[in-house]
Amino acid sequence: MVQLDLPDAPVICLDFWCQAGSCYEGEGESGLAHFLEHMVFKGSKQLDAGEFDLRIEALGGNSNAATGFDDVHYHVLVPPAAAEESLGLLLDLVLQPRLDPTDFDMERQVVLEELAQSEDQPEEVAFQQLLRLSCLDHAYGQPILGERQALQNHSPASMAAFHQRSYRSDRCCLSIAGPLKDIGIRDQLEQSALAQLHPAEDHAGPRPLKLHPGEHRMELPRLEAARLLMAWQLPGAADQQTVIGGDLLTTLLAEGRRSRLVERLREQLRLVESIDLDLNVLESGCLVLLEAVCEEEQLPEVRQEVRAVLEQLQDQEPSNAELERAKRLVGNGYRFSLEAPGGVAAMVGNSTLWGRHHNLQAPLDWLEAWTVERLSKDLICQLSPELAFCLEAVPA
Amino acid sequence: MEQRLLSGGCPLWLIHRPGPEILSAKLWLRGGSSADPAGQRGAAQLLAGVLSRGCGPLSGDALADLVEGRGAGLRCEASEDGTLLSLKCASEDARLLLPLLLQMVSSPWLVEDQISLERQLNLQTLQRQKEDPFQVAHDQLRHQLYGDGAYGHDPLGVEAELEQIGQDQLHQLARRLGQQGAVMVLAGRIPEGVDTLLLEGVEQHRWPTTEPPRQAGPAGLKHASLKSSRDDTEQLVMMLGTTTSPLGSEQALALRLLHCHLGIGMSSRLFIALREEHGLAYDVGVHYPARLGDAPFVFHLSSSSDRAREACQELLNEWLRLLETPLSDEQLSLALAKFRGQEALGRQTGSQIADRHALVLGHGLPFDFADRSLREAAALTPADLHKAAQALLLKPSLSLCGPASAIAAAEAVWSSHPLNR
Repeated sequence: MVQLDLPDAPVICLDFWCQAGSCYEGEGESGLAHFLEHMVFKGSKQLDAGEFDLRIEALGGNSNAATGFDDVHYHVLVPPAAAEESLGLLLDLVLQPRLDPTDFDMERQVVLEELAQSEDQPEEVAFQQLLRLSCLDHAYGQPILGERQALQNHSPASMAAFHQRSYRSDRCCLSIAGPLKDIGIRDQLEQSALAQLHPAEDHAGPRPLKLHPGEHRMELPRLEAARLLMAWQLPGAADQQTVIGGDLLTTLLAEGRRSRLVERLREQLRLVESIDLDLNVLESGCLVLLEAVCEEEQLPEVRQEVRAVLEQLQDQEPSNAELERAKRLVGNGYRFSLEAPGGVAAMVGNSTLWGRHHNLQAPLDWLEAWTVERLSKDLICQLSPELAFCLEAVPA
Repeated sequence: MEQRLLSGGCPLWLIHRPGPEILSAKLWLRGGSSADPAGQRGAAQLLAGVLSRGCGPLSGDALADLVEGRGAGLRCEASEDGTLLSLKCASEDARLLLPLLLQMVSSPWLVEDQISLERQLNLQTLQRQKEDPFQVAHDQLRHQLYGDGAYGHDPLGVEAELEQIGQDQLHQLARRLGQQGAVMVLAGRIPEGVDTLLLEGVEQHRWPTTEPPRQAGPAGLKHASLKSSRDDTEQLVMMLGTTTSPLGSEQALALRLLHCHLGIGMSSRLFIALREEHGLAYDVGVHYPARLGDAPFVFHLSSSSDRAREACQELLNEWLRLLETPLSDEQLSLALAKFRGQEALGRQTGSQIADRHALVLGHGLPFDFADRSLREAAALTPADLHKAAQALLLKPSLSLCGPASAIAAAEAVWSSHPLNR
């Protein structure tokens, strides 16, 4: 459990994290981690279906959850006076889900609707294909929402087994951020289901990722503009200094009009409607994902120019001014993300979950330690075009 | 909180709050896409995009270098009723960056080359948006609700008209920026002397404007219609809506509580009826934005094609229920709790606070409008909400986007439903 006092915040965020993302699904369990996240809100031993939402929202709060490849988290934002009651409800809900068979069948329909909604967005289909082809049989290549057939086969018993083996004391973290004065939760926690959890019997961490370079072209119905998608691998989240370096590099390349890729491809050559480069921080290996949106006939030139920008960066290290600009953008982005309790609770909760204990200042210190020489030596070479998987999606 | 008046007439509100050394600034100018001149739909957004491509002594590149070099965020966007310039920066950079907001509106460069680029980007975005069936259904409903009226088009514009907008038109529009009123709001850790810097004007130049007046905005159409777009999708997107009344009008608060009842949170009526009880949708909700004129009030959901008939039936039933049955006291209490909760949750960051106050003041409403609304909402009864529903939600229109078979199923439900008689 980790808590951070934000005396001036108007609300408290309670954020429960668990190492139970889709990468912990076994054979035949496709989509189970995410489906379980849905089912958690269908009630517990003490709470009827929908009762949690009703009580939290009647207290003036709200709640939500998100399932990723590595982990899942359930968060509640409430006025400070409602924090103690909400904490009891949250832990009960997450740790003792009811998994009623009738509710299970109904919620399966909802998950299938979510899947259908996602399949109606051609851009999401293209990204899923990029991950499938570049990560191959690694969990990061499989959809978090799951395969349709597997979803049809899941049962409350198989979900209970997944919950039983995943929601363990050494795989969970409760994070609390907000005005903590007058909030007494220690005794409550000692009596809660959280304190009764046992450690996992066999806790294997996520399997290391090995991204496979390659290329693929696909035609997609309903696509209105072509996409160039590229994926690279960087070291996993545990290498925190490299994660910050990756953030700096992607910012230098594609954040703002004066970043290299945006300036060259959008502002000067006017080849793309947009070009983005995002760092996805993941335990088994971070993924750097590029997306350029352009006319189909411009794709070859867009590809060539992206390559040219990346090769130029390898041939000649960036200037100090570029690095300083990137440091400002990354540093401020980090500071801005900590302005609200939700951002703070998520940041410290995720870090603690994965055993990365540091204060809030540490990432800013790591940021300052990066130099252009180190960026070139350690990171820029890892974003070589030859190391990428490249996918072109064009309108069918 | 402090209130000042810039030398040209723009009200300046300073909302000091403890916390990190961050400053958020919003400059809200009346006159967004609803004020696009005839034949120039998309002009307000195009102008907004070009404002940050050079102003005062700074070229577009120099401006980007300055803002990005300080790690700040600067955005200019037109919405239906206004153009909003947003700046978020470290407080220590406020002195350097804040004057940019006034320079952008008082002395934009409007270079042809940059206009051309921005126009091309907007045209491409309009094209790409057609990939999203929700966007298609939304655009279709907007036209059903407002026709070719001021709210009848996407702020990005209409392709054929946007293609024709050039430098001359933007110069004319830029000269009128602020004439219908403007307001600036700063929230966060505001360094001493920043207000003086703004009060003195930029390079002794006074940007003439006034406090946004309270006035009526564009009206909506008041008749029901059905429109469908065929698309080869898995799901059918359904949007059911009508035009209502402006923010701050007599029954708008009652509608806001109905919005909380129907669409806020997982205990909301639509979420429970459509998703929890029938499993018909993943995403279901209500769209009810704040508007100077007749705001849309829209139910939206998407459901698999083979369940389109049932989903449409349930959606129409829920609208009919609003007209026929008042909320219970318990339902109203929950809606009130959500309304209060939304207010608290919307005040977590300086940016949220500045945004909400700029919107309210931009609508010509008082600074304490949100607090007053909280007090007034507590006095509303189920009968008040029912009366508002019966007055404002009588004749909804239905917009569909999806496969032909699903459209046919939903159209059959619509044609025989009591709501459509």
